[in-house]
Amino acid sequence: MNLKKYFVRALHRLQKGPGYTYKELLVWYCDNTNTHGPKRIIKEGPKKKLIWFFLTLLFASLVFWQWGILINTYLSYNVTSSLSIGFKTMKFPAVTVCNANPFKYSEVKHLLKELDRLIEAALERILQPALGNSSENASPPLDLRLWHQIPLVLIDEHDKDNPVILDIFESNQAAGGNQTTVGNQTACSHQGSDNCTYRNFTSAAQAVTEWYILQSTSILSKVPLQERIRMGYQAEDMILACLYGAEPCNYKNFTQIYHPDHGNCYIFNWGMDEEALNSSNPGAEFGLKLILDISQQDYIPYLSSAAGARLMLHQQKSFPFLKDQGIYAMAGTETSIGVLVDELERMGYPYSDCTNNGSDVPVKNLYSQYNTSYSIQACLRSCFQNHMTEICGCGHYMFPLPEGVNYCNNEDNPGWAYCYSSLRSSITHRQICIDSCKETCNDTQYKMTISMADWPSEASEDWIFHILSYERDMSTNVTLDRNGIIKLNIYFQEYNYRTISESAATTIVWLLSSLGGQFGFWMGGSVLCLIEFGEIIIDSLWITVINVISWCKGLKQKRAQARSPAAPPTVSELVEAHTNLGFQHEDAGALPRDEALPPEPGTPPPNYDSLRVQPLDVLGPDSDAETE
Amino acid sequence: MAPGKKITARIKRTLPVKGPQAPTLSELMRWYCLNTNTHGCRRIVVSRGRLRRFIWILLTLSAVGLILWQCAELLMNYYSASVSVTVQFQKLPFPAVTICNINPYKYSSMKDYLSELDKETKKALETFYGFSEGKSKVRRSVDEWNSTGSDFFKQIPLLKFEDFSKTATDLRSGQKRKIEGSVFHKDSSIVNSGDSNDIIGFQLCDANNSSECALYTFSSGVNAIQEWYKLHYMNIMAQIPLETKEKLSYSADDLLLTCFFDGLSCDKRHFTRFHHPLHGNCYTFNSGENGTILSTSTGGSEYGLQVVLYIDEADYNPFLVTSTGAKIIVHDQNEYPFIEDIGTEIETAAATSIGMHFTRSRKLSKPYSDCTETGADIPVENLYNKSYSLQICLHSCFQKAMVDSCGCAQYAQPLPAGAEYCNYKKNPNWMYCYYRLHEKFVKEQLGCQQICKDACSFKEWALTTSIAQWPSTVLPSVSPLRTDLANLMVFYKDLNERFISENPANTLVILLSNFGGQLGLWMSCSVVCVIEIVEVFFIDSLSIVMRRQWQKAKKWWNDRKRERPGKPPQADNLERQCHDNPVCIDEDLPTFNTALRLPLPQDNPLPRTPPPNYSTLRLETAFTEQLPDTLEVGQH
Repeated sequence: MNLKKYFVRALHRLQKGPGYTYKELLVWYCDNTNTHGPKRIIKEGPKKKLIWFFLTLLFASLVFWQWGILINTYLSYNVTSSLSIGFKTMKFPAVTVCNANPFKYSEVKHLLKELDRLIEAALERILQPALGNSSENASPPLDLRLWHQIPLVLIDEHDKDNPVILDIFESNQAAGGNQTTVGNQTACSHQGSDNCTYRNFTSAAQAVTEWYILQSTSILSKVPLQERIRMGYQAEDMILACLYGAEPCNYKNFTQIYHPDHGNCYIFNWGMDEEALNSSNPGAEFGLKLILDISQQDYIPYLSSAAGARLMLHQQKSFPFLKDQGIYAMAGTETSIGVLVDELERMGYPYSDCTNNGSDVPVKNLYSQYNTSYSIQACLRSCFQNHMTEICGCGHYMFPLPEGVNYCNNEDNPGWAYCYSSLRSSITHRQICIDSCKETCNDTQYKMTISMADWPSEASEDWIFHILSYERDMSTNVTLDRNGIIKLNIYFQEYNYRTISESAATTIVWLLSSLGGQFGFWMGGSVLCLIEFGEIIIDSLWITVINVISWCKGLKQKRAQARSPAAPPTVSELVEAHTNLGFQHEDAGALPRDEALPPEPGTPPPNYDSLRVQPLDVLGPDSDAETE
Repeated sequence: MAPGKKITARIKRTLPVKGPQAPTLSELMRWYCLNTNTHGCRRIVVSRGRLRRFIWILLTLSAVGLILWQCAELLMNYYSASVSVTVQFQKLPFPAVTICNINPYKYSSMKDYLSELDKETKKALETFYGFSEGKSKVRRSVDEWNSTGSDFFKQIPLLKFEDFSKTATDLRSGQKRKIEGSVFHKDSSIVNSGDSNDIIGFQLCDANNSSECALYTFSSGVNAIQEWYKLHYMNIMAQIPLETKEKLSYSADDLLLTCFFDGLSCDKRHFTRFHHPLHGNCYTFNSGENGTILSTSTGGSEYGLQVVLYIDEADYNPFLVTSTGAKIIVHDQNEYPFIEDIGTEIETAAATSIGMHFTRSRKLSKPYSDCTETGADIPVENLYNKSYSLQICLHSCFQKAMVDSCGCAQYAQPLPAGAEYCNYKKNPNWMYCYYRLHEKFVKEQLGCQQICKDACSFKEWALTTSIAQWPSTVLPSVSPLRTDLANLMVFYKDLNERFISENPANTLVILLSNFGGQLGLWMSCSVVCVIEIVEVFFIDSLSIVMRRQWQKAKKWWNDRKRERPGKPPQADNLERQCHDNPVCIDEDLPTFNTALRLPLPQDNPLPRTPPPNYSTLRLETAFTEQLPDTLEVGQH
């Protein structure tokens, strides 16, 4: 009840509008509005009235058309990009260095013995198919258990429709006459060979390497991580000298990380524990200088055919994806890398679909266990690994493991290689990952200008090798050679940054100014005019309410008294009532309105407009409060 | 009454009193609101009912607030720049290409100067690492060089620190000695202690105050020996006059074997010699010194610069430089080539093709960004005879600081006026001073990085390098020279010039039209109404307040003078004013209800002549629409 009373009172207050009929209201509005057209409509003569009426309509529609265009432009969220180049003090990039070879051969030899013998025998068969038998008899019997899981085969494609498939060890007459001998590798899902996929390689060398990698990783994945780290290259053996700017550094300034392909990798200036280093000077003098030892003689023969150091520059706290973005540095050279930081700053939603920290991406970031930041590479890999664990039931050794899942190996998951290769070639799975991963809004790339010189020079190699061997092995004999050491210089170029930053082409300020400009230009209006218009609409609504109420009451009364009042005033009279100031209703004689309350019997109906307010008194006694 | 006064009185009576003449502030406000061009304000006066009026006041105020906020935003974003990138295909001027051998001076001709130092170095290698050169192949032995006897090596010897107790082994005497003084690089390499590795370093002491020492240690002996060697080397070289040094270094004939440019043969006359303190004689192709700058009209490796360099590897200084090859730098004719900082290295026994891509950039200077057009506004003297760049500024700044605090100039940079290069004989203290200063410089404590700004416009040649083996092994004639030769090709990949320029994103016209849009959108206001506001709210209001005060003061003065209780004339005054002032209306406008409830005129007849109550008389006001109501009230 209280609420109703309050509501009624509020309505009552709102009612204090400028008129009591639509016409009055409209005329009042036209006269008093601040937009420039309507005033003219009521002030001018009939012809001009018409002209002004149409002009006003025209301009109003022009305004709305222009507003539509402007709002559309704004909602398309265009961006402009600005580009700046120059030098400023910047964080030195994190530098990850790895050996191209993951493990020391001397350490893993006992694990790979069987495999090595197999591959030697297979190579022998491929190279000298005719002499195969004699050599095989001489050597101890091969362990063919590894072989049968993923055998190497020859595919004779002379007949395109029915290629002949021959296992290298089983076929003794092995394809001697084949002109197109193709080294091949298969992966069968089960022992039943119906469900097999064959991967073709045109070169036997390629096929053998791929096969070896597949087999060796399967073997090595059973070795615990600690052991694998021990088998890799240790920081103190690998990083012989380090100098950053004028300050010396050593292997302890590097953070160790285990990379499945490259074994132990070492990251300089990762920014995980301490502040990232800044560099405020361009030039090689102020950069990072490293001397690395890659000990080429200890490489695993079939695993990595390239010798050198793999390095990569990346942002602090980001995971190094060496296999995708790393570069090689050659042994026996001094590699100078001038760095230009290429930054791309995107505007976030709604301007472009990017993510700031990856929290809004529906893929669980598996790399967060390294405490690294989000990147699209990390997202794609996590996505793949998640699919892999769902479908194949085990994780691929290249990527980190989700909780409660193990890495695939041939004993526990005999079909994993088939599952993996079919998953990898599935476009739909890849598309799902690409769709769900978003780019980062701030993308930093390091553009490198690489140049090389021979190092050490002939004149200086004696003493350099001597010192380095002495420092590493405490011996006076030279234990290093040109094939094993690498010098790296990494420094900022004269212009060290190029920033492309997006900014909104149309801001809300721009939108408002343009809206205001258009409205003001065509109609001299402002937002307040719109509010005026709203006010008028509320007023007219109120009038409607009053009309409806009185009409209902009138209907009741009519029924009750069955007496119809006199004819209502004509429109022209009403118009005149508002435009002609001297106009009096008395001239028209009795002018009862249908909304006026029926008079008390006996009293003559008052003619004054003022009495039209009476229906309101019914609504509440609160009018006293406001009229003072 | 004087005739003048009469006339003014008449004018006052006949002319409607408006604006500043309004007697009170509220009158003024009402007059303003009725007559202003801004929307909203009028609405406050015109609206009936307190709620509506309050809403309109609120709306108007918020509109003002919005205008201020948005305009501030516009102003703040005024100095933003947009970037345009234009790519045009045209005949491009070929840049200057400076080529140096990595080794600065022929080792054989330097023996007079360096024999002592080399002996010392070898001795250090022998004592610390057991390295002896006895088995060395074709290298000339240094032992026969007769020493010139200088003792400064002994003052700054290489030291070997057993562990981080404070003992070190001296290189010469082999004796252990105590190290005093502060230890540098406490955090990084010192941690190395527990290892089998011994740390090599050297100690620099302030000559005037021997207790103040700095200890330089390196994680590897390679770095330590090189740094130590360089230190002494600079000492020696600083004493050699420039002419001699030029002779000691490589001549154009030594370095350049063949040269082709744009398909035509060229020779050493196309190269300008340029002596670099650390790289000896360098040769600049197309330096523009003779007034003409070569240009290419065709891209591709055929039409670029192609030179074969002779790198005499056997004549390298073993301790100063450890890598073999040449260094080149591509730069503008007006730029100084900073070979040691940003040079590109060239391998021997290889053909290096360098493809260039030309980019020209231009930034807007202040207030858009903090860059400098010519470097004239930077308080660092340009020591290089070339156009301004950030590198030049940093180096000049360091050199200046060096001269100021050490009294002599560093060897690798040009001399400021009136200074000379440091050498041990004249400035025994300079090495300590230099290292301290360099430390500060790197750690940004010298303020150079803050003073020096980017250049606003610069040219950049982006290089793409590829390397192939050269000469191929089927060429037997050159094979003995193989490792001493390097083939270099520098060419434009394409003749597209990329021009990146910044333009102001906003002009004054855009700013003004945006202002207009904002003012118009929220209040339909213009500059005129801003002036109006100033007029009414500042000038007029002030004048009214002042008038009040003046009248009060006058009244108070009169009262005091007459010393008698005066009748209150003010009310009368006000009323009288109100009668001839059509703007002066009753405080509360007669809304319909008020008019209905309070038939003012009848109930309170004024003591004096009643003012005409006809609403027609109020025609001048804006309230024509109220006429019917008030008329009826009058007829009651």
